[in-house]
Amino acid sequence: MRLSDRVTGSFIATLGALATYGGSRLPPVPGQDVGPSAFPMVIGAGLILCGLMIALGIGRSFEEEAEADLAAVEGPPQRAQPADPLAYRLRALLPPGLLLFYVYAADRLGFVPTTAIMIFVVAVAFGARLRVALPLAALAPIAIHLIFYKLLRVPLPPGLLPMPW
Amino acid sequence: MNELIEAFRLVLAPDVLIAILLSSIYGLVIGSLPGLSATMATALLVPVTFYLSPIAAVASIIAASAMAIFSGDIPGCLLRIPGTPASAAYTDEAYAMTRKGQAEVALGAGLWFSALGGIAGTISLIVMAPILAELALNFSTFEYFWLAFLGLMCATLVARSSPVKAIASMLLGLLVACIGMENPGGVPRFTFGVPELLGGVEAIPVLVGVFAVSEVIRALVSPEPPPLPRRKFGSILAGQLALTRKYWRQMTRGNIVGIIIGVLPGAGADMAAWVSYAMSKRFSKEPEKFGTGHPEGLVEAGASNNASLASGWVPSLLFGIPGDTITAIAIGVLYMKGLNPGPTLFTERASSMYALYIIFILANILMIPLGIVMIRVASTVLRAPRATVLPVILVCCAVGAFATGNNLFAIVLVAIFGAIGYVMENNGYPVAAMVLGIVMGTMVEQSFVTSLIKSDGSLLPFFERPVSAILAAMTISALLWPVFIWLWKRIRHRPQEQAL
Repeated sequence: MRLSDRVTGSFIATLGALATYGGSRLPPVPGQDVGPSAFPMVIGAGLILCGLMIALGIGRSFEEEAEADLAAVEGPPQRAQPADPLAYRLRALLPPGLLLFYVYAADRLGFVPTTAIMIFVVAVAFGARLRVALPLAALAPIAIHLIFYKLLRVPLPPGLLPMPW
Repeated sequence: MNELIEAFRLVLAPDVLIAILLSSIYGLVIGSLPGLSATMATALLVPVTFYLSPIAAVASIIAASAMAIFSGDIPGCLLRIPGTPASAAYTDEAYAMTRKGQAEVALGAGLWFSALGGIAGTISLIVMAPILAELALNFSTFEYFWLAFLGLMCATLVARSSPVKAIASMLLGLLVACIGMENPGGVPRFTFGVPELLGGVEAIPVLVGVFAVSEVIRALVSPEPPPLPRRKFGSILAGQLALTRKYWRQMTRGNIVGIIIGVLPGAGADMAAWVSYAMSKRFSKEPEKFGTGHPEGLVEAGASNNASLASGWVPSLLFGIPGDTITAIAIGVLYMKGLNPGPTLFTERASSMYALYIIFILANILMIPLGIVMIRVASTVLRAPRATVLPVILVCCAVGAFATGNNLFAIVLVAIFGAIGYVMENNGYPVAAMVLGIVMGTMVEQSFVTSLIKSDGSLLPFFERPVSAILAAMTISALLWPVFIWLWKRIRHRPQEQAL
């Protein structure tokens, strides 16, 4: 997701303004000049300043230089040309989405079934064939469970499929 | 002397030795996979360190990070894709050597000079740390404030991006660090009524999110790297002694530059490699050969990035201020294990400090045999398809973050920061600066507010104490440095434009 500097700069300036406002409303410590509001307000002011500078394109020349250096090392940027760019780009939401799925489902389904689903989905998204993705989804969660539950004693939720150890 | 013997006893314990060996192998494998960086290897190691003894925990971090920095050279050399950002500076050179049929020499140089650089960095740590510890005992909150601020400024200077964006990322990190109750007033700040946020945002889920999950996202939307052709390697260390003799000056210079950059809080191995490679080219007798498969720059940059890794521990151990993102993680582990960073570490826990030195040297010696094995099996490891490695990494991110406090909210943080990290990196906002902001936020605020209370709200005492004034001058010049560079470039380019 590549946004223009104007968009990201304005976003940062807005965030800075909110931080300054939110900071200024924090209750002071009785009898002292500086309290919990000082630091957020300093940061907020800095963010507003940086955000405006970014939106105005100050410092852009440094970035172009660094990009040119990197391009010299890595060759011309390899852009994927998928058939459906939107669907392709939406795959970026998959990893955070699956992590949230884990948070939602782990206690209900249990560790092994939940992570089996996660691994299967990601493997398929990377283009793995079913004969790779299915065994991976079946075996990897059990191995991870063994390491973290048995050796490292992390209390992973048993759910519907408790492991024998 | 007793302490030294005690230190050897600590290191030679079976659990420590096993931890070093296993984490070395782990670091070599993760570092060699393109996109999986040394920082990520370290971040995913943290949950494992909970269950180790203090020395074994620190040992596993030292060993894994040193190995990962070296093995990042392998895919750079064979595929022209740097395995870790620290190898990016000389990837082109190493790949050019591979094309000339000198892959053994390039990989051997990476290995040999990495190990020597690591040992040089360790010696600098041994020499410098006690001297600086003495100095640090006299530090007050004013010095700590400037030191932490200097670290944050360096982190923005070294980011290879727009300095304004880097400072913005750093401030974002500081803003995230404001969340929670740990502030001068002890009031809930920016928690938006979410009880989980009262304790603040933990650094480990953030690190796992921005360094591991965002990598998985990036891989999902980018094409698969080309498969590695199978190849047989000749002797890997043959010719390295000749290279050492021929380029000992470059090696020493690389070591020194690496050590200096490592000691600077905030600047780490990637920067050391870029600076050293550029320096090698500038001072070389045959600069025209650079980029065509010439080992000189490889020697200097390889020596530099591993040296910076060890000296990066100097500010971390002495002040609790991370030298780079890897030591930012290590500091968290040190606190957790009761080895609180600070100058008193050297007087009260001297044997642990010696043990740390021994582990560094051991890891760098172990790097040579394990590295040779890794190079030989690299063609097999690098063939592991992304479709099998990355799904497992994603699950490890979830489990690893969960293990840090056994709460599910950590996984929510991983997901959020994974997405934030991906968007930031794509738009030229360096995530390392944000991470250092989060890690150091509480410390910066505490020293800032305490100093202000001590001085009755006046800013003058921040510049009055001698050490404090020097640190302030360094920090402000770091802030103004990009402006100097920009002006200098304008002045230099103007005559050329007029001539046209």
